[in-house]
Amino acid sequence: MTRSRRSGTPVATVLSWLYALLLAAPLYYLAVSALKTNVEIFTRPFALPAHWLWGNFETAWRTADLGGALFNSVLISVVAIVLTLCLAVPAAYALARQDNRVARVVTGVFSAGFLIPPFAALIPTVILAIKMDLFYTREFQMLFLPASALPLSVLLLTQFMRTVPPALVESAALDGAGHWRLLFNVFIPIAMPGVVSVTILQLLTFWNEYLFALAITGTGPDVRTVQVALPTLVSDATNFGVLTAGTVLTLLPVYIAYSLASRRMQEALTAGAVKG
Amino acid sequence: MSTTSTLPGTRPGTAPPIVTGRRKAGGGLHSPRVLLLTIPSLVWFAVFTVGPLIAMFVIATLRWKGLLYEPTYVGTENVSHVFADPVFFDALRNSLVQVAIVIPIMIPLAFMLGYHLHTKPRGYRVLSVLYFSPGLISISITAMIFYGVLSPDGGVNGALRQIGLDSLATPWLADPSTALASLIAIDLWRGVGWTAVLFAARLASLPSDVVEAARMDGAGRFRIMWQIAFPMIKDYVRTLTMLQYLWTLFTSAALILLLTKGGPGTSSTTLSYLVYAKAFTQRDLGYSQVVGVVLLVLGIAGMLLIRALLRSSLENKR
Repeated sequence: MTRSRRSGTPVATVLSWLYALLLAAPLYYLAVSALKTNVEIFTRPFALPAHWLWGNFETAWRTADLGGALFNSVLISVVAIVLTLCLAVPAAYALARQDNRVARVVTGVFSAGFLIPPFAALIPTVILAIKMDLFYTREFQMLFLPASALPLSVLLLTQFMRTVPPALVESAALDGAGHWRLLFNVFIPIAMPGVVSVTILQLLTFWNEYLFALAITGTGPDVRTVQVALPTLVSDATNFGVLTAGTVLTLLPVYIAYSLASRRMQEALTAGAVKG
Repeated sequence: MSTTSTLPGTRPGTAPPIVTGRRKAGGGLHSPRVLLLTIPSLVWFAVFTVGPLIAMFVIATLRWKGLLYEPTYVGTENVSHVFADPVFFDALRNSLVQVAIVIPIMIPLAFMLGYHLHTKPRGYRVLSVLYFSPGLISISITAMIFYGVLSPDGGVNGALRQIGLDSLATPWLADPSTALASLIAIDLWRGVGWTAVLFAARLASLPSDVVEAARMDGAGRFRIMWQIAFPMIKDYVRTLTMLQYLWTLFTSAALILLLTKGGPGTSSTTLSYLVYAKAFTQRDLGYSQVVGVVLLVLGIAGMLLIRALLRSSLENKR
């Protein structure tokens, strides 16, 4: 049985590796180009670099001010994730504890919100930032990102919190525990895998956010995120070696995180899309 | 989703008079008042998501030339502007072409690759890491990768020259006949593997005995895949199809902004990019938001269509 499962059909094997090759080729091209000059990139696109030009990384770091941009990205992502959890955890607790009509309406609101891509309301959101006097600031992004993350976060956390056995709730109630004690001592520990998944998933989403970061936080060197800083390396006379080096640097934090916790990350990201 | 066992009144034997003053003040551990805890998140959602969504319909009725000017009410004037503009119809056509190519290729291919991954073929760990990786890469990084790959002296043309197909080499993003196709190819590059990983994760959660039983009956691999595994995760296929449809329709603006700016001409302008460009580069917010409303309507209509298609075929099979 295992043999027949493992062998698969030749067509499937060939197709699956062909697609893998298609995925890997641009990533390989990216990695080798980061160490070359323009001339070498153009003339020997797939060869390993003749001279390893580590200076590209330094140039990219300096030109796009990636250090400052990385700091802005970390700051925005961390504040936004803390705010997301502060808003979503109590809401999920409430929805897991109650299943009346009001609770179902609230769940319905978040389910609908999950389907609508945030891009739909990009321009009105920019106007909101202007009206709040927070245009071209990091602060608006910190406030806005949690809102875009709430539907999925609340729905996922509610599912995890529903797994708390009623007996535990009863015994905590007999001990005279209030909602907050119940939440912190019983629900959050049991729903911890859910909290971790939501944190990973939304941190990645916040880190990768581009269009809102561009339109609202803007390209000012003191506030821009790393996703906005990277494309500033493109010009009429782009140095492709420097651009690809910058791309590698921007991608590195995510891949380091992935190599440290690949299983967790895969679980978190698939959980995020499994919830419809 | 079954009901939780913590519904109010599910504690038989708790006579009302026993409830102490302290518990009463706290609303009681089983009182529906716990739902007050959802208010902060609902307020947040209302201010930053629902509000802007409603504002879109209002802005669509305004003449508003740039973010720093005062708007005036013009009713349906923007709507007639938009529907008399050939650029809008180019964008509509491009968006329809985009989803009509991306979705029918992506979903079946991703399902088959996901099924293949699920059977744990040799080297499936390498495969799943590679398939998964576009899910980690942001739009701006994707754009920068393909800016290099598709540039006139980039990777694709380099590869074509090495295998002697110089005649096929072209500035992919600057050629009106290949710009949109390039963007569609990037959508597929990103989406297929990632969706396959999601399908594989879902298939792994199925009971394996049904598939085993089918295999015992001598059912072929292709038949098991499409006639047993597929119907079992049909709801999930429908959900992912809807999500991919919405993502493809709505989020192409960022990639286009970074790679082609909608050009050359309008050859790669989609509705999503038109919303962005009209607001930020051509300073016509009313026009932009009329297109935004069209996009929203198309999104909802497409979702309903996908729902109906994937539901009816399930019923036909039974």
